[in-house]
Amino acid sequence: MSEDPRSQEADALFALVRSRYGTRLTAEQLESVRRGVAALVEQAAALRAVRLSNADEPVQRFTPYRSDE
Amino acid sequence: MNPVFRPVRELAEAVRAQRVSPVELAETFLDRLERLGPRYNAVVTLTRERALVQARRAEGEIAAGRWRGPLHGIPYGAKDLLATAGIPTTWGAAPLRNQTFDFDATVIRRLEEAGAVLVAKLAMVELAGGMGYRQPNASFTGPGISPWSAEAWSGGSSSGSGSAVGAGLVPFAIGSETWGSILSPAAYCGISGLRPTYGRVSRHGAMALCWTLDKLGPLALTADDCGLVLGAIAGADARDPSAVDRPFAYEAGDTTGRRFRFGVLGDVAENAEPAVQASFARSLEMLRKIGTVQEVTLADLPYEAITRTILFAEAASAFEDLIESGSIAGLTAPEDHHTPYARDAILAKDYIKALRLRALVMREADRALAPFDALVAPGRPATAPPLGQEFRDPHRPARDPMGAVGNVAGLPAIAVPNGFSERGLPTSLQFMGRAWEENTILAAARAWQSITDHHLKRP
Repeated sequence: MSEDPRSQEADALFALVRSRYGTRLTAEQLESVRRGVAALVEQAAALRAVRLSNADEPVQRFTPYRSDE
Repeated sequence: MNPVFRPVRELAEAVRAQRVSPVELAETFLDRLERLGPRYNAVVTLTRERALVQARRAEGEIAAGRWRGPLHGIPYGAKDLLATAGIPTTWGAAPLRNQTFDFDATVIRRLEEAGAVLVAKLAMVELAGGMGYRQPNASFTGPGISPWSAEAWSGGSSSGSGSAVGAGLVPFAIGSETWGSILSPAAYCGISGLRPTYGRVSRHGAMALCWTLDKLGPLALTADDCGLVLGAIAGADARDPSAVDRPFAYEAGDTTGRRFRFGVLGDVAENAEPAVQASFARSLEMLRKIGTVQEVTLADLPYEAITRTILFAEAASAFEDLIESGSIAGLTAPEDHHTPYARDAILAKDYIKALRLRALVMREADRALAPFDALVAPGRPATAPPLGQEFRDPHRPARDPMGAVGNVAGLPAIAVPNGFSERGLPTSLQFMGRAWEENTILAAARAWQSITDHHLKRP
């Protein structure tokens, strides 16, 4: 295991993915998935590096529902 | 009159004047689709029976003086992710090749109401590319082939929509874009392709790849034709909550003498192929004949990471059944058999962070676009790649600020031809506008096509 926090995160997340799907994948496919997880961790790091305020809401549509409206 | 390679505008006039019969039109294009479609791997299903019923109805109505409008009696093809009652809708995926719905997608229904004639369901990259394909052979119908070279890809994921229009197999087609799937085939096939504003066109009955990024739009020979088609398919729809009540009427007025304000990101062509850079440099000079061109900058944000996080997270959910069941092992592209599994590693808080950053991107894009009629850029950074070649490294994603910003902010864009490479492959120019400004970018693209002849070249 690497000491680098980002690598540790990637290792942990890959372990999760492998536990779910590892039995159906070849070693070569697993290695590709491992690299894919590492790329996603890098991607997440880019998002986390941007500071937002508490008031910055996500863009998503939500409207309470009534069947008669 | 030979109807092949004629713009919808010209065909419509001939149909209205009864110089051309809708039935003859349908038969002409059905024949071309049948004979030439396999050359481009463009067709999934010919819809001959339905087409001839629609064409005969159109012919009768027009003869009786009931002309519905410019699409009446005009044949078209639909990307095979749009539901069509009783006709297979495969989503390009081998495990779903027998999938059939019992209703028409709203876009199909609207085109029927406009009198258009559905002649084919057109090939596409499996699941619209949502599994992470990275080479052209990613559909059970084979790799889409560009009309300009038997060795070059037609682009994706609306592969058949691009090649069928570019090869004169249909006058227009409907495609979809989540990130690049209309602009890429338009660029690689040397035609015009319009990505409407998110919410302009109902997606009811269309395969969902990513609910907050998916758009439907036309591909055609000219920008004007794209406007005609958008006029028929735009509008609110109770069956798609994202489709907004914001009426659209295509304004096809003459652009002669109109001066446009174009913005351009300083480094937008920096990583493009030399042929694309050369075409783009010439295009900027030409654009100065119809307006001003001014450099613009965007704030430093991780645009591609934001869009990609939203796309991957939503696609993982949209195709949860296929992924969890292992059915993706039946897909055509080997990389699609395992790539999606990694997306279980996207954390909920990172997806939400991407949705929060999306608000910043929307404001930043609008700030940058507000002084302009459009931002211009290469339609694609490269010409059509060879069929056997990987075109992206999934572990080192390429920069695409226009695509990332335009799609995550839901902005309209149109790609039009702007030249050719030394290998004879088309290059492309895109105009991206503020939200709901389709008429503005269509006018700019029409003005472009009034001073250039790239869109008149045929393979």
